[in-house]
Amino acid sequence: MSDQKLTEYVTLVSSDGFEFKILRSAACIAGAIKKALDPTYGFREGEQNSVTFASINGVVLEKVCEYLYYNQKHAKSKEVPDMEIPPELCLELLIAADYLDV
Amino acid sequence: MIAGRGRQRIRPPRRSVAGDDVDFEQTWTKISAAFTEIHTKNASRLSYEELYRLAYRVVLKKKGDELYKRVRQFEHNWLSTEVRSAIQALFSPNLLANTQGLGGTTANERRVAGERFLKGLKQAWTDHQVCMSMLADVLMYMDRVYCQDVRRLSIYTTAMLLFRDDILNSNTSEIDSRVVLALLNTVILDQIQMERDGDVIDKHLIKSCVYMLESLYDDEMESEDQRLYNVSFEHEFLATSSEFYRHESEFLLRDSDAGAYCKHASRRIYEEDERCRSTLAESTMPKIRKVVEDELIKNRIHELVEMESGVRFMIDNDRLDELNLIYDLNARVDDRKTELTRAIQKRIVDMGTDINNAAIAASQATPAAPAPEAGDKAKGPNQEKSLNQQTVAAIKWVEDVLQLKDKFDHIWKDSFQSDHSLQTAVTRSFADFINSPTFPRSSEYISLFIDENMKKGIKGKTEMEVDAVLDKAIILLRYVQDKDLFERYYKKHLCRRLLMNKSVSNEVEKQMISKMKIELGNNFTLKLEAMFKDMTISEELTSGFKKHVEGLGDKDPKRIELGINVLTSMTWPLESMGSGDDDENKRPKCNFPMALDRIKRGFEKYYNEKHSGRQLTWLANMGSADIKAVFPKVAQKDGSFKERRHDLNVSTYGMIILLLFNELPADQYMTFEEIHAQTNIPRNDLMRNLQSLAVAPKTRILIKEPMTKDVKSTDKFYFNEGFNGKFVKIRVGVVSTGNKVESDRERRETEKKNDDSRGFCIEAAVVRIMKQRKELAHQQLVLETLNQLAAQFKPEVTMIKKRIESLIEREYLERIEGARVDSYRYLA
Repeated sequence: MSDQKLTEYVTLVSSDGFEFKILRSAACIAGAIKKALDPTYGFREGEQNSVTFASINGVVLEKVCEYLYYNQKHAKSKEVPDMEIPPELCLELLIAADYLDV
Repeated sequence: MIAGRGRQRIRPPRRSVAGDDVDFEQTWTKISAAFTEIHTKNASRLSYEELYRLAYRVVLKKKGDELYKRVRQFEHNWLSTEVRSAIQALFSPNLLANTQGLGGTTANERRVAGERFLKGLKQAWTDHQVCMSMLADVLMYMDRVYCQDVRRLSIYTTAMLLFRDDILNSNTSEIDSRVVLALLNTVILDQIQMERDGDVIDKHLIKSCVYMLESLYDDEMESEDQRLYNVSFEHEFLATSSEFYRHESEFLLRDSDAGAYCKHASRRIYEEDERCRSTLAESTMPKIRKVVEDELIKNRIHELVEMESGVRFMIDNDRLDELNLIYDLNARVDDRKTELTRAIQKRIVDMGTDINNAAIAASQATPAAPAPEAGDKAKGPNQEKSLNQQTVAAIKWVEDVLQLKDKFDHIWKDSFQSDHSLQTAVTRSFADFINSPTFPRSSEYISLFIDENMKKGIKGKTEMEVDAVLDKAIILLRYVQDKDLFERYYKKHLCRRLLMNKSVSNEVEKQMISKMKIELGNNFTLKLEAMFKDMTISEELTSGFKKHVEGLGDKDPKRIELGINVLTSMTWPLESMGSGDDDENKRPKCNFPMALDRIKRGFEKYYNEKHSGRQLTWLANMGSADIKAVFPKVAQKDGSFKERRHDLNVSTYGMIILLLFNELPADQYMTFEEIHAQTNIPRNDLMRNLQSLAVAPKTRILIKEPMTKDVKSTDKFYFNEGFNGKFVKIRVGVVSTGNKVESDRERRETEKKNDDSRGFCIEAAVVRIMKQRKELAHQQLVLETLNQLAAQFKPEVTMIKKRIESLIEREYLERIEGARVDSYRYLA
């Protein structure tokens, strides 16, 4: 449906307006983002190459992006160093993860 | 960081996401509006995230169940209104009409209508698939959380089932109760039928419809064999195909020949394979292949093989390709290729029997044919001639059989892919007709064939060709069951060849024997080899004796050179060399003339010095002599007065007779009785020798009075002084020196002798077995005996029984009293 070429980077926008440009391949690790950007369906997100999350704020989204890169980086290695997660973000991150299907 | 804070504090999630009370109805309105947009392909106006968030919230609020039901309902409505009506619009009246079996539309119209329908359906299906996967993505959170929790099918699967129920299983129209699925099947089948009839159809289109059927299941279990494709379409497809091919095969069998049928059948099989690959599903391939094979081959192979233009025709006309096809087809449905094997065997036996009959006819027709023109000829030569004729027939028989064998070997290799089971079948058939009870002469004929080749055939051939001929003979030999009978004939023929120096090459003879040794084992050739050994020893003896005589200083210019063959009486078939009925012991010793007698005694003395305790029996009836004869100057027909010298090659008896005339004054005569009294040559032999000396025109050394063809005991014989031969060397043939077919009387005798020796063989085998087993049941004993003797011949069971009886009589065996089955015990 959308003829335009897939861009290498996509934009993730948080509820408070922060924009994160990250690699498409990394972003697509999250199931919900992947589906939203799927070019065959032609949702608005797919055409604009950006996804706006009304329920996730910048701090959490940043952590999410960090995790997505972290996941991509260590996808094939065996001994993976722990990722540092501030305890106060735990719950919100969990909800975001559930929401995004990471 | 945590320790630094002293007290752990986790920020609570903001309430804004889940906290607000969600108005379900309002949300649903939004969602369903979006779905309509999706179905109408306007998705780019929608935000995935927003929809996703809406669904997410609904599920979080525990309204998943409600949402699921609503979506289902929504899809149901959509399909049964929008899509169904679109599909129904595709049913042109003539599509409906002809699927009801009404004719009247051309194939082309039908094809176009069918394609339109298929296209529409395919379009609806793909749209549905795309939309549903979008929906499923939007509702991913519901699938993930709600459906898994309560074990519902994912919304996608549910929607697919809805498609099945609302579209495929819906009625085609209000008045027509048939469902769309049935129509779909009919249309696809119709299209396939068109392709079979040679039309071009849109394979790709059908393939997509088949994909659709393949991805839908008849029940909720989604097992492989419950796919709609398997349940509804494939079943019908196989049924129609079976019907179609049944008709086609009937039609083809009636209207075309077997070769064309085979070609057609294999093309059909290929086409169906190809169709499964390109149009239908691969999984159908084995099934449809089986249907085609069943209908076109299995149920028809019998008729096919038996057709006028069937296997028989192909064999007769060397249709190797067609035979190959038939073989292929038969091999598909039957590992053992029963029908083809049967036909081939029958044909071989038929052709073999023809050859047999031809040989019998050839050997029987001849005595009748020459009868009129041979009116004035004596009975002797006439019979001789018929024997000759028979010999020719025998050789022809062997050649025919070999030709047949070649033919079938060729067919086997080229058309039957050197199939093993067929080879055994062919071999068995050859053995069958060669050993058929109506044709008992095969052993003799084969031996004659070898004899013929040994005598003349091989001359001037290369080693390779010789080898080929011998191999052929061996091949035939392999088929012969009564190997002992063959051995007897071969011995006899070999004996003649050796003694009369008829064999072209001893090398070849030995080669033949070593071939037989490989084929039939040591036992078989033992005696044949012994015969050769005797020949070699005899040569040594002859030269030894010659030296011995020279050593004696006997410089007699008239000395007679003696060539001697000492034959071991056990190994040589001497009885068959005799004139028949007189027994060896009773054979009267003929009187040798003085000159001969001396040298004979000399040799006996010499031989006894070398080997004591052996008795020499002189077999004058088998020898021959070279005589230098001088015919006096007598006026010839051409007026010359020359003295004529001839080297006469005559039989030993002939020599003895001629020597008698040496001592007789020129104008004196001797009667038959006188000659008989003086020489003591058996009457039969004497008569034959005199016949060749006095009757045969080219070798008339004696003159007989009266000049008749037959020799009577009162006939008088003169020396023919006026004899004039064209050549210096003259061979006086004695009747029946060559190897010919036996006359019936001889044959009966040979068979009787053979039976006798078989008796001994059986007895020996029985004793061997019993010695080992001590006790054995009758059945088993018979079986083992048969096994042991299989290499030599196949004895009749009654014969074995008789032998066992006789062994019991002679107290080698005894019956075990009171045993449940007949059993014997060995008495040491």
